[in-house]
Order: sequence, then structure tokens, then C-alpha cells
Amino acid sequence: MKPAAFDYVAPRTVDEALNALGDTRRDVRVLAGGQSLILEMHLQRIRPDLVVDINRVAGLDRLSVNDGTVEIGALVRHGVFESPQAVPGPLGRLFALAAVNIAHPPIRARGTMVGSLAWAHPASEWCAIALALDAVIEVRSTGGAREIAARDYFRGPFQTARARDELITSLRFPLPAEDTGVGFIEHRRTHFCFAQVAVAAALTVHDGLISDVRIGLVNCADRPIRAHAAEQVLIGREVIVPAVGDRLPGGHPFARAGRIAADQDAAPLAEPYADPEYRRQVIAVLVGRTLRQAAEGVLQ
Amino acid sequence: MEQWARREDRRLLTGRGQFVADMAVQNCLDAVFVRSGIAHGVVRDVDCAAAREVPGVVGVWSAADLSGLPACAHAAARLQDLPPVPHTLLAKLSTAEAVAGREWPALAKDRVRYAGEAVAVVVGEDRYRAEDGAAEVAVRIDPLPAVVTPSAAAGDSVLLFDGLSNTAFRGEAGTPIEETVWQEAAVVVEARYRQQLLMPTPMECRTILAVPEQDGRLTVWSGHQMPHRLRRELAALLGMPLDRIRVVVPDTGGAFGSKSAAFPEFVTVVYLAVMLGRPVRWIEDRLESMTAATRGRGQDQRVRLAADADGHLLAYELQIDADVGAYPHLGVGLPMQTAWMATGPYATPRVHASVRSVLTNTMVTYPYRGAGRPEATIALERSMDLLARRLGLDPAELRRRNFIPAEDFPYQTPTGRCYDSGNYAAALDLALETIGYDTWRAEQTRRRHDPRALPLGIGLSCYVERSGGEPGGLHDFAGIEAHEDGTIIARCGAASSGQSHETTFPALVAATLGVDESRVQLIEGDTDAQPEGLGSFASRSAQVDGAALHHASALLIDLARERAADLWGTPVEEVEWSDGSVHHVRDGSAAMDVAELVKATGPLSVDDRFESGMGFPFGAHVAVAEVDPELGTVRVLRLVVVDDCGVVLNPAIVRGQAFGSAVQGIGQALYEGIPYGDDGVPLLAGGLLDYLLPTATEVPPIEVKETRTPSPSTPLGAKGAGESGCIGTPAAIVNAVADALQIADPGLLQMPLTPDVVWRAARAAKYEGAR
Repeated sequence: MKPAAFDYVAPRTVDEALNALGDTRRDVRVLAGGQSLILEMHLQRIRPDLVVDINRVAGLDRLSVNDGTVEIGALVRHGVFESPQAVPGPLGRLFALAAVNIAHPPIRARGTMVGSLAWAHPASEWCAIALALDAVIEVRSTGGAREIAARDYFRGPFQTARARDELITSLRFPLPAEDTGVGFIEHRRTHFCFAQVAVAAALTVHDGLISDVRIGLVNCADRPIRAHAAEQVLIGREVIVPAVGDRLPGGHPFARAGRIAADQDAAPLAEPYADPEYRRQVIAVLVGRTLRQAAEGVLQ
Repeated sequence: MEQWARREDRRLLTGRGQFVADMAVQNCLDAVFVRSGIAHGVVRDVDCAAAREVPGVVGVWSAADLSGLPACAHAAARLQDLPPVPHTLLAKLSTAEAVAGREWPALAKDRVRYAGEAVAVVVGEDRYRAEDGAAEVAVRIDPLPAVVTPSAAAGDSVLLFDGLSNTAFRGEAGTPIEETVWQEAAVVVEARYRQQLLMPTPMECRTILAVPEQDGRLTVWSGHQMPHRLRRELAALLGMPLDRIRVVVPDTGGAFGSKSAAFPEFVTVVYLAVMLGRPVRWIEDRLESMTAATRGRGQDQRVRLAADADGHLLAYELQIDADVGAYPHLGVGLPMQTAWMATGPYATPRVHASVRSVLTNTMVTYPYRGAGRPEATIALERSMDLLARRLGLDPAELRRRNFIPAEDFPYQTPTGRCYDSGNYAAALDLALETIGYDTWRAEQTRRRHDPRALPLGIGLSCYVERSGGEPGGLHDFAGIEAHEDGTIIARCGAASSGQSHETTFPALVAATLGVDESRVQLIEGDTDAQPEGLGSFASRSAQVDGAALHHASALLIDLARERAADLWGTPVEEVEWSDGSVHHVRDGSAAMDVAELVKATGPLSVDDRFESGMGFPFGAHVAVAEVDPELGTVRVLRLVVVDDCGVVLNPAIVRGQAFGSAVQGIGQALYEGIPYGDDGVPLLAGGLLDYLLPTATEVPPIEVKETRTPSPSTPLGAKGAGESGCIGTPAAIVNAVADALQIADPGLLQMPLTPDVVWRAARAAKYEGAR
């Protein structure tokens, strides 16, 4: 488990980094936290010619809020989001619910949210959240900057709309309305491993009726999925949450949404210990439970 | 002053341990193996030419490159072709018949028989360069159909060795049971259980460093459980006299049974070191270990258990189809440990166990913590719960009715064991009392009436294990030496891979001699320092080496008294020993410390070879688990493990062992398993992200308690400790889940109880009478 030989540069500015990335004849990889890249290099599944270490690039560690938008720089580590105050309002609460599911604390101290989007693992928590909450990915190359909407970004497992010479400099999330309730529940075999399924939900209620709902599905297809069909059946519905400890009755809108998410939105693949039939079951249950968690946040 | 719980902790917990990978040796080369990605196939070509051109690569060899060589006139060894891997007769783990016609080449020659089998070796200036070289070796293998389960392999439709059956060994324990016994019994339960293959997964994978010395000797450093065995096997392979090889075991990061043999990589590395006249080392990495290190367990079992209407056991039959991997050299006889221990803690009049060991296209099966006893316990204890349900009896009550009574020891079992001592009911009573059995049963009833509550189950598991080793392997070496400076040197044939010998043994010697513990130093794991030794396996170190050290200490006292008697010109009966000193019984003069005696009379040392009996530790484990039937997740709410390993030398260390092995038992029950693709290749691309071990986050509240029933067959009364959790815990967890779900078909719950398995079981039919 040793990497093949590679060249290494550690630029100080974004422009220097972009110049290094611009050499498209070579396999050039960006190193931020190294959460996945280092492992893949050790396994020699990735054998880059050049590694561009952006950890010394000034300004990329910025986390800022302007005009109802949160901007997260490429070097902001997962661990930052463990605090619900890192980002204001419901979004901060959602990030905090999700962040603790990412690996272990030492890895959260290195890995980055932007790195997760760049890697685009189907089991990435952040990718599904970015998709569900209409995040915008800002990329730059020597040719200039552009923005990619999350819904246009994911192309398949580890495949994205980012070009090889582009660096993701930041990620922007619109802040949801203050009265939005959020939920995040992950199902996995041990705390150490990837999610078999995880669900993110954000629910906004006006006058007791659901006015907006977003459901992000983690590891329910070959890429992150937004459960549009499930969301459709919820818009305009009344929110009634059963007492704590009660399982959702089969006819409850959240349970029905779960079933629809599992059967219509998701396209689960087979893995050892999780065939598609089992995964659909988990999706259905988790969507229902996550919606309930979000609704409880609204009603508090 | 810093406080360390164990002597070795100062070194190990401050990063100052010295493991094989830490050793800095001039001119050392790193070996890397090129491994087959195919489970079963014909080797067509192994082309090493390009690899030899890689900068930093010193040499690359396939099996063909190391065959048909002229005899090499080496100063020390008789080196010719790369020798094959030796088989072991220790503890009847293998047999000459099983290996006849089935050579295990150190590098695969014309056939690969498991994914991960080495086909070439690259030696480079460091591991990076050697891996660069390995990436350039071109291997062409034509695949053959692969068989990775005993049932698939037993039919012999695919043969691993042409002209030879895949069934490499058959054995039995006890007498076959007549059909009338089953026909006439009031109740008979039958079931099939799968004991999945497991990886021992020590923190440190396998290591070896072979250093040819200036004087023609060879020093071999290895994280190993049996240094003298390794020396013996390597000497035979290399044609070297025994005293020309020194094997040293430095700090070792765990073994769990998996580090006691001479493996294909060891044979190759030592051969190359001698051939090249340079130090060569191999530090196995995790991914290699996951493909090419030995596996544990691997049995398909069929059981029948008969009882009368009162729940008294009448007969038990266990049929084992064992998956012993691709070569029969290390573990073809290992399933006999299951057969011999099939009786368990019950006074069943008829017990019969039969074994069929089948070769499969998987890495070789070898002892892993528990080694045969977990398989015996799980089969019997799951069946006991089935029987209790059929009889409408509380599972604790069924066990109580059948325990071998405490007054019946020594007890000769129908499967050939003679249990030394036991009080099985006491262990179960303590376990039930500790966990609050009645309270949990009440909670279970409450939940069964509450549709909103998660189902809860209580699982029992009572076990008997065997410690010390098999007859012929129950002795070890111990030596004690007193020095002028007051130091006492203790030596023994054990080799710690993390079992706290440095703490336990000096304390034992110090207590026997009556000296301060700080005066005693332990030397072990070095074939130059111990003339002979067996090592550490089968939970034998305290039981056998502890007894040997105790006995050697007593001999040293006798010797010191004789010396003093000579010195003082008095009869030896008038010389007494106390607190590390000799003194005259009647003379009022001051005592003479043993250090003064050495100064006055010369070196004082004894070497001893001591033999212990077999020990039969036992215990009772109880688990409470709740199941989320919608997701299939199992939450262990509480686990109580009561172990009895006789007299305990160091309670904190034994508890640590009990706790750790219980966690490994949880691993077998809930998490660990090797999924195979249709091509017979393990699906473990993500390493430990795919083979899941319980980590700190998964450890439930575990309470460790003990009862103490001394062994009459071991001098200290100590039996082995440390394997208990792997043996007792899995069945407790599985029984708890089965109890929660009340399923009719026990076959639905096969380990590991992953959420998908439990979810399917939760949807299946419940047994009659379930509520």
C-alpha cells in the first residue's frame, strides 16, 4: 500500500494552483484534506503524475455569510460543521446533524466539504445535502470562473461536471427560511463504514401546511438523488406528527413519501449486505423518520 | 511519578516499542509479493523482465526462477530450489496423509488456488520501490471454476489437486448414535448453522526480517507466537543446523493465533536473505493481510439434539463440513477441536461429532482466538435455546437441568475430553443475577404487549473451553537466575504478542521468591536466551509457563539453601528461605540475601522443563438486545460475561482479555464476514471499510465477572484465559436476537447478523406460541 511515484507542488495562490491544474496532458489531482485521495493513491487505484496541494493557498479556508447565502471555501474542514452555530439557522443545524456521521474526528479535522463534492462518492452526506438545498459550485480555471448548479453537477459515481483543469474554490448554499425544520438520519453497519443509506430533509411549513420540502438521498443510486416524487406528495399537506415512540402508521404522509422515494426516486445498487430490496426498505423507513425529525423541528 | 498499569505500557504507550518494522538494519531490502487476483487458475506466464528494470528494484523472481537450480555451495545452508511451505503436526492440526500429494509452494508454480496467493516476489531498496516493481510484473492466469464453500467443494466437481478429492480429512469424536434414540426421544430439534470465515485482524500484520550475520548465522526477527518452532521449521527448509539460526520476537502487535506458523512469505524471505547474503524483510500491510493471512472458523454444521419430556438431554449429534482453505498444511485437523468439545457443559449421555475437512479456493484456515471452541459452543447453545422453546422451558432452567454437576469432576465426556473441574451452574447463576435476568424478562413481556416498543431478547450461552494445548504440547521451559546485583532473571518459552507477560510473570516469580517485584526481569521470545520453548497459544502462558516459572523458582530456592548449607557447614534442613534470603533456622544471625549468596558462592541458576495438565475453563455469557424490525438493526443493551479460569494471577489483565475477546465475539455475531464474488474473489476492495470490526463506537456496556474454580491438574490452579469472549459471546448475542424476533426457522439467523439478515428474519414466520 504505497503510492506510485508522483510530482508534488504546494502553490500559495489560486492562480498558481490553476496553472498547475492546467497541464491536462498529465493526471493532476488536487489535495485538500486527502480523506479519499491519499487512500486511493496508496491502493494505487489513482496514480497521479502531479499532486497539487492547496492547503497553503490563502483565503480558501473562508466561511462567510452574505445576503442570505453561505459561502464555504475549499479548505473548510468537516469538523467545523459539527457546531450548529458554524452556519446560521436551520442550515447550521442540518450540517451539524450530518457532520458527525462523517468518518471519525481525526478525519473530520482534515477532510473538507468541498473535497467531498469534488470526489462525489455516492455515499457522501454533503453531496446529497448540496443537491437537495440547491447549492452552487464555484469552479475556476486559467480560462476563468463559472458556477455549476448542484442539480447539473453530479454525473455518476465519482463523476461530475467539473473539468479536469478546474478547481472548486467554494460552495454556496442559500439559507433556508428561519422556520424550516431539518432532519438527517444515516443507516450503516458500524460507525466506521460508509452509509448504506442516509437521508437529509428540510421542511418548511406555513399555516400548518407544508410549503416547501427537500429530500436528499445518500447512497440510494450511483449518485446523490433528490427525491422529487416523494416531495410532490407532501406539498400542501398538513403536518401531524405521531407521539414519540410511535412508528409512523402506513398511511401517514411521511410513510407514503418514504415508500415513493424508495420505489420511484431511488435506484439502489447491490452491495454485499445490502441488496436493492433491502435498501429500498431502508430508504422508505429512513425518509419517513427523517421527515418526522424535520417536522418536530418545525413544531418546536 | 507516572503510573503505568503494566510494565510494558511505558514503552508501548509512549511510542517507544520496538516492532519488526521499527528495526533499522543496514543494507536491508524490502520484499513485496505479486499476488494472484484470481481464486483458481492455471498459471500460464509470470513475466518479471520489466519489473527488473525499475529503479531501486534489486531482484524479481517467479517460482520458475527459483526451480531447478543447481545446489548452491553456501557457507551455512544447503540452498537449492525455493522450498515448499511446511505442514504442522502440532495439536494434530495437520496430518501426513492430508498433505500427501498436495504440495504448498511458497510461490505458486503452475496453479493458483486462492485469490491472493503469491506468484512472484520483488525485492527492492525500500517498500516503495519494491511496490513499483511489483506493479510491472505481468501475470497471465487462465481461470478455472472456483469453489469457496465446503458444500460447493465437497462434490469434487472442481478439484483443487488433480486426481485427489477435495475432502482432505475425516474424523469423529464419540460413538455414532442409533436411530432409535432419535425416534424414541420426546423432543428432537434439528438445525443448520454456518460459522463464517473470519479474519484474526491483529493491529500489526505479519512481519519477518532475516539477517545473515558475519559469522554465518542467521538472525530472524518476527512478530511470532512460537519462535522455537519457527527456528526448527526454517532450519529444516534451509538445511541449516538449528544452532545457526536465532529467532527473536520483539514487540508484537497481537496475533490471536494467526502468527504461529511458517507462512509462504516467511519461507521466501528467509530463502532470499540467505541466497542474497543481505537482510530482507517483509512487513505485511493490511490489504495483503486481508487477502493472504490465515482465516479462522469456517464450518457448515448440522445438529440434532434430543431430550426427554422433562428436558433432560438424551443425545447430541454434530456434523461438520469444514472449510479449511486451499492447502491442508496448517488447519485440516482444526475442526477436531470442535468435535472434541462438542459435549459442552452438559451431562448428555450420547454425543457424536463428525468432521469432514474440505479444501476450498480460500486462504488457509488456521487457529483464531477460540480455535474450534466457538464453533462448538455456538452450535450447542443455539440448539439449547431451540430446545427450550420447544419444551416451553426457560432457557436458564433447561441448562440447569443438564449441567454436569460440580461434584462429578473429573468428568470424562463422550467426545474424549476429561474435564478437570467446573461449577457451571454457579457461573450461570452469577451471570443471571448480574444482568438482572428476571427484570429483563419482565421488560420483554411488557414490550410484547406494547405495539410501539422495539422487540427485546435475552440470550444465554454457557461454554467450556480447553486451555494449555494438546498432550505432547503441555510443557515448557523456565529458567531462573540470581545475580550479584540483586537482579533475578526469569526466562520462559512463552512469547508475548500482547498478553502482558512482562507484568504478570515477574510478579509471580517475585511472589514465589519473596522479593520485590522490581528485582525480577523477564526474558522471553529469543531462541538464544531459551534453550527450548513452545510459545504462546491455546491460552497456555499462565497455565503452563506460569507453572514452569513457579516451579523453577522453587528449585532456585532449594539450590540456594543447599549452597548456604555448604557455605555454613550445616545440614540443608537447617537452612530456610524467606523474602529472598537464606538464614539459619537456629542461629540468630542475620539473613543473607540471595545476591550476597551469589557473591559468596558464584552464579546461581536453574533451568527447568515443566509439564502441566489440560485445563477446561468455562463460563456463562448473557446478552440483552433489542431489534429495530423495520431496519434490522441490533442494539446490544447489555452483555454480562462470567468466566472461570481457575486461579487468576493478575485480575486486571484477565479482565482486559475477557473484555477484548467479548468484543471480538460481538464481531463474529454482528459484523465480520468475507463476502465472495461468483469468481471466488473476496469483495474487500475497501479494506476495513468492507470487513467491519466492532470499534469503540460499537462496544455495548459489558460487565466482566468471574467465578473461581481452581484446576486440580495445573500447579497454580490456573486455567487459560483470554479466548472466553470469542467462545461464549457470539451465541449469547444470536440467541438474544432470536429471542427478540421469536422466529420459527433458526436457519434464517446466520452470522454475521447484519441488518439485512435480521430484517428478513424479522419478516419471517414466528414460532408457535409466540406473542
